[in-house]
Amino acid sequence: MARLKVLVRKEWEELFKIKMVIYGSVFMPLLMGGFAGFMVWQGRGLPSGAQAALFNTALMYFLILPVMIPVTLAVYSVVGEKEQGTLEPLLATPLADWEIFVGKALVAVVPALALTWGVFLLFLVATHVMLGGIPPGLVSLPWLLSIFVLSPLLALFGVLVSMLISSRTSDPRAAYQFSGLAVVPSLIPLIVYSARLTAVNLLLVALEGGILVLLNLGLLYVAVKLFRREEILTRWK
Amino acid sequence: MIRTEGLTRRFGARTAVEDLALEVREGEILGLLGPNGAGKTTTVRMLACLLAPTSGRAWVAGHEVGRDDQAIRRIVGVLTETPGFYKRLSVRRNLLFFAELYGVADARGQVQRYLERLGLWDRRDEVVATLSKGLRQRLALARALVHEPKVLFLDEPTSGLDPESARAVREFIGELASERRTVLLCTHNLPEAEELCSRIAVLRTRLIALGRPDELKRQMFGTRVMVELGNPQPELARAINLPFVKAASLDGSILTVEVDDPDRDNPVLVRRLVELGAEIRYVSRVERTLEDVYLELMEGSDGPA
Repeated sequence: MARLKVLVRKEWEELFKIKMVIYGSVFMPLLMGGFAGFMVWQGRGLPSGAQAALFNTALMYFLILPVMIPVTLAVYSVVGEKEQGTLEPLLATPLADWEIFVGKALVAVVPALALTWGVFLLFLVATHVMLGGIPPGLVSLPWLLSIFVLSPLLALFGVLVSMLISSRTSDPRAAYQFSGLAVVPSLIPLIVYSARLTAVNLLLVALEGGILVLLNLGLLYVAVKLFRREEILTRWK
Repeated sequence: MIRTEGLTRRFGARTAVEDLALEVREGEILGLLGPNGAGKTTTVRMLACLLAPTSGRAWVAGHEVGRDDQAIRRIVGVLTETPGFYKRLSVRRNLLFFAELYGVADARGQVQRYLERLGLWDRRDEVVATLSKGLRQRLALARALVHEPKVLFLDEPTSGLDPESARAVREFIGELASERRTVLLCTHNLPEAEELCSRIAVLRTRLIALGRPDELKRQMFGTRVMVELGNPQPELARAINLPFVKAASLDGSILTVEVDDPDRDNPVLVRRLVELGAEIRYVSRVERTLEDVYLELMEGSDGPA
């Protein structure tokens, strides 16, 4: 655990010196939270049905965030090692293979969730200020499950996709672009809610959660194989 | 301190290292020579537990590669051929990161000690991106040493350095042996190997020679003696006819003779030449370099590495 902490601390120190990472990790969450707040502001005085539809769309910003933030962090965390030629010295240390993998994943997942939840809290405060209270729909079980269960699953999905893609390329821009595909699962509910096929509900949250668990298990299986020392040294480009 | 038995590594159909049997004693600097692709880096990677051997066994400080990898990683230091750093972080932060990963007790103090020892303390707060190649190489040495390893694997430590920086690095490596550290030094720089290493192993996928530099020279070439004559006679080279003379040739006024042991054989040779009527002006030893040995071995070994 001590080595894991050392690795994560160094990664954060290094990553947050990159402007692109700061932009992706701090500015974007605030922007997304702002959009969500704007939706709520727009919903003032509307009939409850129309207001609920706007709130559903606002929720989607909080499902995009946990994928979007870790993509930037995970890409730079992996590609940065390759770019700088630091992989071999790192692999020569007593760090276990799993510690390297988990460390890199934590570096991306923790800030993603902290920022998502932090911005969600700000959003609730802003909503309370704007509407004089929080509409029950925003703190319903499907909403809370989306924020506190789907978000971690989405963040993990984003990290795994980004790490796998980053291990196969040495160009951070290419890795970043391809890793953008990780946002797709979080867009599916957006399409569903925007098309007003259904409102946020437990079944949809459970369905997406189940799919994400399966996807993450498959990606984890591949990632664990890919994060073996020998694989990193001989196969990573 | 390091021992290998039949160590072999294949990458698909290509064999990088084959049947390597090697022993490196404690406190010894062993030079690993060979052309590009000869298997030097693969050997180091196997011994540093970065690559698993395809077959064969190896031990580092009594720990077997493949069984006690974590224990080995704690006691070895590796300087890779192109040592990379976290360029946005400072010199000190880079070193501190590795010291902490190795669990060094007084990590900050140890970092300071090595930065001072390698002349980098004044640059401690600069980001690595601003350092010259020579300074980065010194930092790489500090990184390889910060956890006080018993065994060091140094892969081309002076490659691409200016003469002054290369000299500083060589002097530092020389100090390591006096600290009883065992060093495996991969290099293309043959004078460097000759200067630093007590023994040399020449690798071309297989081990093709192993020994002290002077031993290798003697094995390959015997010892040559050059005699300058005042009255060169064409038949002299053939007329010497002594049992220890391996070869003799005359070129102008210079007679070159290969003998087994110059200390023992030269007086006899000189007497014989005088008997044959030779007028001797000078007798001197022809020094063979490690480069001569290396090139001879490369010509003699089969095919490209």
